[in-house]
Amino acid sequence: MRTLRAAAAFLRKDFLTERSYRLSFALGAAGTLSGILVFYFIDKLFGSALAPHLAPYGTGYFTYVFTATAFFGYIGTGAGAYSERLRLEQAQGTLEAVLSTPITTGAFLLALTAWNFIFATFELLVYAACAVFLFKLDLAAANWPAAALVFALSAACFASLGILSSCFVMLFKRGNPLAWVLNNFEGLLGGVYFPVTLFPPWLAAVSNLLPVTYAVRAFQLTVHKGAGLAAAGGDILALALFDLALVPASVYLFHLSIERAPAPGTLGQY
Amino acid sequence: MFIEARGIEKTFPAPAFGGGAGLRALAGLDLKAGTGITGLAGPNGSGKTTALKVLAGVLLADSGEVLADGKPESPERLRALVSYCPANPRGFYFRISAAENLRFFGALAGLPPAEAAGAAAELAPPLGLSAADLGRRFDALSEGTMQKVSLLRALSRRAPVLLLDEPFRGLDEAACAGLLGLLSGLSGSTAVVIASHDAALLGKAAGRILRITDGTNGGEAAR
Repeated sequence: MRTLRAAAAFLRKDFLTERSYRLSFALGAAGTLSGILVFYFIDKLFGSALAPHLAPYGTGYFTYVFTATAFFGYIGTGAGAYSERLRLEQAQGTLEAVLSTPITTGAFLLALTAWNFIFATFELLVYAACAVFLFKLDLAAANWPAAALVFALSAACFASLGILSSCFVMLFKRGNPLAWVLNNFEGLLGGVYFPVTLFPPWLAAVSNLLPVTYAVRAFQLTVHKGAGLAAAGGDILALALFDLALVPASVYLFHLSIERAPAPGTLGQY
Repeated sequence: MFIEARGIEKTFPAPAFGGGAGLRALAGLDLKAGTGITGLAGPNGSGKTTALKVLAGVLLADSGEVLADGKPESPERLRALVSYCPANPRGFYFRISAAENLRFFGALAGLPPAEAAGAAAELAPPLGLSAADLGRRFDALSEGTMQKVSLLRALSRRAPVLLLDEPFRGLDEAACAGLLGLLSGLSGSTAVVIASHDAALLGKAAGRILRITDGTNGGEAAR
């Protein structure tokens, strides 16, 4: 009950805050659409050159990148939102006030990014509406239960990475090596904007170390080829193993960082 | 309820790679405050704020313990028992109203919205806060009004222990009188600890005043 009340309080506060920046609020929603159009025209120009690499997914470039961007946009929220929100709380001087209350680590984790996930869900719906009504993408082959499983496993995995990343913010304020990797390399090396089969072997090996590679590939296969547990099983297993390691580790380390942060007396610093 | 600090030591470490020595803020502080109002006096840097933060569970001591009703308590439990009003009234969300801030922090402390609003409506008038003040965006408030909202946030939790750091700072005469009245009303049921440099107001508020010197208890101050 307390956790839900805390989450509702954060949601209301963040909504009111976002609404107070009216232009930014409107531009945020419009920006979702402009990003899609860039890829639409790239497809017109270069789409056919990528056809051999897209054959396993049974789709064209625009549909591939549209799906991956929508998917990555949502799961990427988990990766970026925790550290971003925590940093904001530090910078505006409210972190110490929030952590002076009896809020638990679990409630704080859930509440801190609740608004980001709500907004990401809204963006996902915009993508879905555009896919169906504007671009008339053919998603008839999709295996939605398998896609939902991939989605859930991927969201948990990226939220864990985001929580781990926020531990750095809690302890060091600025200088977050995990966020740097997530921001600069996940989209590039994970096959969001083009299939990873384009990479030379050494870069493909690096790409195989990242959970996003498995997440994007599995999601593309389930949505465009209707792949189930048999065809996408390897990627789904990899995601499950990432989750098994990352979810408990991230929650434990975040709890530890919350517990330890008051020791040097820097909760109020930024 | 009484709250007690036993042998609290706290040194703020020097920044990593920054050189220099750490800052010793508390050097074995012993302090006990029961139901009623206890004042904390002492020069700048003597350790008053550090002591309050350790008692509130906001800051971890290097050694020593904090007890509530004689039982050692974890920082997590202290945050549930203690309501803390910091000296700086800026730990609020500036883009939303004072009332929304109170609703938010009330929810984190476990208060349903109606209860938080009820507490604000009851406690605001003695501090000279109007409904219009509470409806105003926080960044549109004067420094003194921010301080009143900060006091309201701490008071409305109705926690068994209330710690106020420089509560009179920025308040006008009427608000100081209103605060003294509110604290007097609480003194029969709540352990209130006030740190202040305003000797006159501290004298009016507190039944006894402890002096902190160089991070240790310097005994009771003369009245």
